[in-house]
Amino acid sequence: MMPRALRSLVLPAAGVVALLVVWEALARSGLMGPTLIPPPSRVPAALASEIANGYWGAAVLDSLGHYFAGVALGSVLGIALGVTVALAPRFAALHSGVVRILRPIPPLAWIPFAIIWFGISQGAAAFVIAIGVFWINYFASLSAVQAIDRDLIELARAFGHGALVPRLVKVVLPAASPGILSGLRAGLGQGWMTVVAAELFGIPGIGQRMMDASGLLATDVVVLYMLTIALLYSLCDALFEALSRRALAWML
Amino acid sequence: MDAVSDAGTGDAIVALRSLALAFPGSDQRVLEGLDLAVPREGFVAVVGPSGVGKSTLLRVIAGLLPPSGGEVRLMARPEPGRRPTALVFQDPRLLPWRRVAGNVELGLEGLVASRTERRARALAALDLVGLAAEAERWPRQLSGGQRQRVGLARALAVDPDLLLMDEPFSALDAITRQALQDELLAVWARTRKSVLFVTHDLAEAVYLADRVVLLGGRPARIVRDERIAAARPRRRESPELAAAAARIQNALGEAYAEGEGI
Repeated sequence: MMPRALRSLVLPAAGVVALLVVWEALARSGLMGPTLIPPPSRVPAALASEIANGYWGAAVLDSLGHYFAGVALGSVLGIALGVTVALAPRFAALHSGVVRILRPIPPLAWIPFAIIWFGISQGAAAFVIAIGVFWINYFASLSAVQAIDRDLIELARAFGHGALVPRLVKVVLPAASPGILSGLRAGLGQGWMTVVAAELFGIPGIGQRMMDASGLLATDVVVLYMLTIALLYSLCDALFEALSRRALAWML
Repeated sequence: MDAVSDAGTGDAIVALRSLALAFPGSDQRVLEGLDLAVPREGFVAVVGPSGVGKSTLLRVIAGLLPPSGGEVRLMARPEPGRRPTALVFQDPRLLPWRRVAGNVELGLEGLVASRTERRARALAALDLVGLAAEAERWPRQLSGGQRQRVGLARALAVDPDLLLMDEPFSALDAITRQALQDELLAVWARTRKSVLFVTHDLAEAVYLADRVVLLGGRPARIVRDERIAAARPRRRESPELAAAAARIQNALGEAYAEGEGI
């Protein structure tokens, strides 16, 4: 048997290689035209030309800007409101009706208002991204705080940390941190899923570049940016996992 | 009757007068008309059937539950850097994200400004329970008995006048339990803390305490107050302790017979 760490690298890599092989074979078989399925072997050339004319770097930087602004805004507000609601049952009752109305509205449905409020701007894209990220973090931190062992709250009171701020800092937030961090992580993924859509209506970034390319039927460029998003997501996720592993060292 | 009534509360660390407690939204009183004094440097055990209100009593004294009648008078010396009471729980309730020393420092935060002093006091408390060497470990790396000792160290670190112990050893295996009982007695002998110790184990109560208070009924009242005069160090199998336990056991039986509804 392979060692565990090796297997966890080798098997996923093998899956990706298999996908590329099937994809390339399908594209070259002539069953479908290269526009319908651009072969992956054309992606490096597309990448080279996109980098050479400066589009790739600019699009990635723009999208990263929207992404981090939106994720930060949505995460901070989502966690803050989720924790508040979990600690204040009366406030929870007050706003539960509002949540029911707003929750099912997909982030993209906010695009018209985003444009009216912020114009075709970076802010509009960040706003749309923030909405999806907000809900994930809101529900994750709400349930993480609600699930805290009541005995630990009593412990905090017994040892002089009954007031709101010390109770939050010393018990509530650390106890809820595994749940809050897994919400943050899910939000990081949700953020990339919304980035492209948020840019489709003309805000510069990966999404806009994909729209331009698809208008020219340059599907290899579209695939290039799809893979770019996958790469950026993987980097964010791996970085976050490494950080939260350190933060949660006490659990391992 | 060899029940003991406290002549006065002059030498008491805590005195309860006609203490009553009902949980909010309930007419059913858990405690009513309870008078009890714990003498300074004394070791008082509270026994009684489960659900009688022993743990509730500790929480009222610790200030975690407001009494609905009567009063709790704590004759603690008001000094900075100390807390009048400290609780030790059945499940030690260590914070898993803090190392052992960090857990012991919990009660010192907001009490002792200097980080160095907090650490020094935590280490001293850990030393008292024989765990100084484990200061940098995580709670999950400790055995059940060690965790309970960390809980004791956390309470000792705030240098309380009164230690409130809520069935602290009942979740441990018999051998560990006996070891911790002896360790507690050693700590008590060294620190001369007053102790109010809740347990449902009569043998444990008579082995540890100067005085065993039996609670019964609903609302709970003191069914028997037994002084344990046996000299220390005690032997668990001593006939004197066995006789005291039997007297308390009988009182418990009589309370049932009187229809106290224990």
